[in-house]
Amino acid sequence: MLAAFLLAIAGCQAPPSPREPLRQVLLPDLSRATDRVQAQLKKQYAALDEKRQHPGTSPAELAAAFGEMGKLFMAAEYRDAAEASLSNAQTLAPSDARWPYYLGHLHKARGDAVKSAAAFERARALQPDDPATLIWLANTYLDQSRSGDAERLFTQALSRDPRSIAAAVGLGRAALARSDYARAVQHLEQALALDPRAAAIHYPLALAYRGLGEMDKADAHMRQRAPGEIQPPDPLMLELEGVLESPIAYEVRGAKALDERDWKGAAVSFRRGIELAPAEASLHHKLGTALYLDGDARGAAAEFAEALRLSPHFAKAHYSLGIMLGSAGRLKDAVDHLSAAVRDDPAYVEARLRLADVLRASGQSAAALPHYEQAANIDPRLADAAFGYALALVDLGRYQPARDRLSEGIRIYPGNLAFRHALVRLLAAAPDDRVRDGHEALRLLQELTANEPRRYDVDEMMAMTLAELGRFEEAAKSQRDAIAGAERSGRPDVAKRMSDNLVRYERRQPCRTPWRGDDGPIGG
Amino acid sequence: MSGNFRYPEIMPPGVALLDYDNDGDLDVFVVQGRMLGKTAIERAIAPPRDVSSLRGRLFRNDLQVDTDGRRALRFTDVTGPSGIDARGYGMGAAAGDFDNDGCVDLYVTSLGANQLFRNNCNGTFTDVTKASRTESPGWSVSAAFVDVDRDGWLDLFVGHYLNYSVEANIRCFGLAGGPDYCPPHVYTPQPSVLYRNNRDGTFTNITAAAGMAAEFGPALGVSTADFNGDGWIDIYVANDGQPNQLWINQRDGTFRNTALLAGAALGAAGEAKSSMGVDAGDFDNDGDEDLFITELTGQGVDLYVNNGSGVFEEQSARAGLRQPTLPFTGFGAGWLDVDNDGLLDLFTVNGAVTQNVETTRRDPFPLQQRKQLFRNAGGGRFEEATDRGGAVLQAAEVSRGAAFGDIDNDGDVDVVVGNASGPLRLLINDVGQARHWVGVRLVGANTARDMIGARVAVVRADGSTVWRRARSDGSYGSANDPRVLAGLGGSTAPPTIRVQWPDGRTEEWRGIGIDRYTTLKEGTAK
Repeated sequence: MLAAFLLAIAGCQAPPSPREPLRQVLLPDLSRATDRVQAQLKKQYAALDEKRQHPGTSPAELAAAFGEMGKLFMAAEYRDAAEASLSNAQTLAPSDARWPYYLGHLHKARGDAVKSAAAFERARALQPDDPATLIWLANTYLDQSRSGDAERLFTQALSRDPRSIAAAVGLGRAALARSDYARAVQHLEQALALDPRAAAIHYPLALAYRGLGEMDKADAHMRQRAPGEIQPPDPLMLELEGVLESPIAYEVRGAKALDERDWKGAAVSFRRGIELAPAEASLHHKLGTALYLDGDARGAAAEFAEALRLSPHFAKAHYSLGIMLGSAGRLKDAVDHLSAAVRDDPAYVEARLRLADVLRASGQSAAALPHYEQAANIDPRLADAAFGYALALVDLGRYQPARDRLSEGIRIYPGNLAFRHALVRLLAAAPDDRVRDGHEALRLLQELTANEPRRYDVDEMMAMTLAELGRFEEAAKSQRDAIAGAERSGRPDVAKRMSDNLVRYERRQPCRTPWRGDDGPIGG
Repeated sequence: MSGNFRYPEIMPPGVALLDYDNDGDLDVFVVQGRMLGKTAIERAIAPPRDVSSLRGRLFRNDLQVDTDGRRALRFTDVTGPSGIDARGYGMGAAAGDFDNDGCVDLYVTSLGANQLFRNNCNGTFTDVTKASRTESPGWSVSAAFVDVDRDGWLDLFVGHYLNYSVEANIRCFGLAGGPDYCPPHVYTPQPSVLYRNNRDGTFTNITAAAGMAAEFGPALGVSTADFNGDGWIDIYVANDGQPNQLWINQRDGTFRNTALLAGAALGAAGEAKSSMGVDAGDFDNDGDEDLFITELTGQGVDLYVNNGSGVFEEQSARAGLRQPTLPFTGFGAGWLDVDNDGLLDLFTVNGAVTQNVETTRRDPFPLQQRKQLFRNAGGGRFEEATDRGGAVLQAAEVSRGAAFGDIDNDGDVDVVVGNASGPLRLLINDVGQARHWVGVRLVGANTARDMIGARVAVVRADGSTVWRRARSDGSYGSANDPRVLAGLGGSTAPPTIRVQWPDGRTEEWRGIGIDRYTTLKEGTAK
């Protein structure tokens, strides 16, 4: 009935054209939306209603009203209502590409590739060269295994914008889908050349090289891969993402800005979110993070404190304050906050690891041990936890278990050289006679020097090791090389501290302090 | 279901098919949850009729087959007499005879401590979790019994999910601001665990020694098979939102994750997907194990096609599976030859994980989706056959676990589906028995246990071969029929059966009877 009425209104303004009847658009149940979002939706709906009821509303005006309503519904995830609204906008303004374009994204979000493709096709018919339309349509064709159709669209997009990474990557993916590895390599290398930082390209490129049998290149690219999605610039969707005024919408925008390292932009979004939800502790915490990254430590601390006032057991806020205080040298306060963080969330592994580090730095290595251990149990990938545990044992003079832990670390984390360096030092210079093993230290060092560039700290370890083996002249020479290397590296302070051992070697005495003063375990 | 959007509420239940009483038919075990937090059970969204029912339940299959072949299925709740006391927040189950006594044991995964129930071979079980050292506390969903070292004893892999506690529960919201279930990335993943069977009723955690400690993700699905064709069982782990792992057995007690370069870690565009259920099977009858993985709405599914050496290509779009699966969030999944034509078809059970804000008032748990059936059309192509699968497949539910097996012993694969806050569904296949089939149970030389991991080549009269394997794992938090069933189509000629046992040895049987199950004992081929 309503649709028929609307058609009648439209018919008063312009000669009737054959078109689909309008779909019924009612305000859905908004009970799950925040008050602000409800108000926003109701206001937009009232505006739409006014246009619908006003006899002088032109089809173009009504289309715009339906379209804006549809965008807001879509942003708030009322997808049925959004579809009806955008469909009406499309019916009323069939030459406006925005509405089928948004419908394409709406169907895509629902996983309906066929409807999505049809909508993007309509948008493309209206603006044949719009890069975003071409690329999203091509992607839906890839979903449907229509790689030839996809390839034509990606090619068209690339011809319009030769710097379009999304188009070049799309061509690479289409070629991969056809198992045409040579063309895939060509297109994906082109994309990578356009933006060498786009690490997400490395994965399909690795698979393309794998298909060609070039395993070294495949392996090299696989190692460089990183999460991410290559998308075309999309002004219409950017606009849509900005229409909703809910705390979570601002939080999402802020988080996106953080990902883009736009600290100021992030802070603006989080502040807008706080205006809508002043008692939401997580928004204050995120604002604090953005401020800290932007260099405003005082503002950050205030936001973290506010988050804790609102939610005293908010582990992330305790953690952030703990990190800030630790960086400022306020170790006791840092320990308090980091302890609170792990008390409130025992599985918060980063907090536990930092607590252990701060405890160690404040001379409480025994207290640090259980936290390192728990951190390693929670996340065995954390080499830092296993390493910290070993060094805390060194602090405590427990050299044998420290040696065992470092040996285990070498086995579990073969790519992490810190374990090897520390073990060499321990084997070469530990005060415990049962632990030292100069020959094993030399073997490890020879492995190290074969695989990494010569540095002053490696020269220093070599000197320690040679001294342990009684080869004092060679030790002194290595130590001199180490001192010269430190000076060349702009570390005269380190060079000065190393001179003590040089004197020792010249006197034909071995080293019994595996680490230099500030550089390592406090008990060494 | 508390109504407080606590993440673990939307993950279970898994289900298990196991013949616990060795009477030749499959019994059913299903996990149960309880209330998380302080909300009273009476205030649950779907309160139980009987609060005491909130424990894992075992149903005995009292299948009756008349002389004319007609079958009457009836199940009896034997939870109490069985001694299985699983009152944790259950997630899933794994089944396998870990002590080689010829009676299948049961491992129950949970939010909290897991439980290992030893089958006493007299219809009862004993909780041996502590003694066996397999508690593996945390949050785990899928687990698998698997003989990784070829010593003839089943080891145990437990896939762990996320670090979660009610106390540290994180609140999440939809874009309109309403509360919703969280995505997995707001929590940190837990490391999975590999236990070696010590052959004395105890297990040892060998995760680090096996080289598996430093790489893990939020595991939801586990499938074990020999993916690179070297005769040793490998382990595939499906992770939620992080790259999947393919742990290739190095034959020396260690594993190496090759998933990335093998092309089985990520989607076609290099994106880490929300992998849930997984199953391995040879859908193209080329003699190797391909992988099928269910994922989130908008992500479709992944079909990793094996080239025989453990190197895969993702071909879900090419196979016609991507487009029809994009609207669904899949959990339990399995390869099964629905129509016994010799080609493995696919079945998935679905259910969303985030609220549809538009239906909230009408339904407090609006995550329902229908199931999907895909027929293998040959030539690497699938076609959706859900509409032909009957009304039961159209019913929208919040489905999670799915266990596959021939529950009525009529020669085709049936499905038991576990639904979140809903009843179990037993889907009986009425199609497969129209064609001929061969079924074998593979048991060990020294023990009558199912030889999980054994591969079977069924050489049909026309010379074509289909490959199957004895498996219990796969799908999502579920345990499947370990018997091997292969469709023969219209052929009535007895096939030749070639078995590659888990220790690498092979045997061949000729003239195996069709349209019935035959037990093949290791070392008895003539």
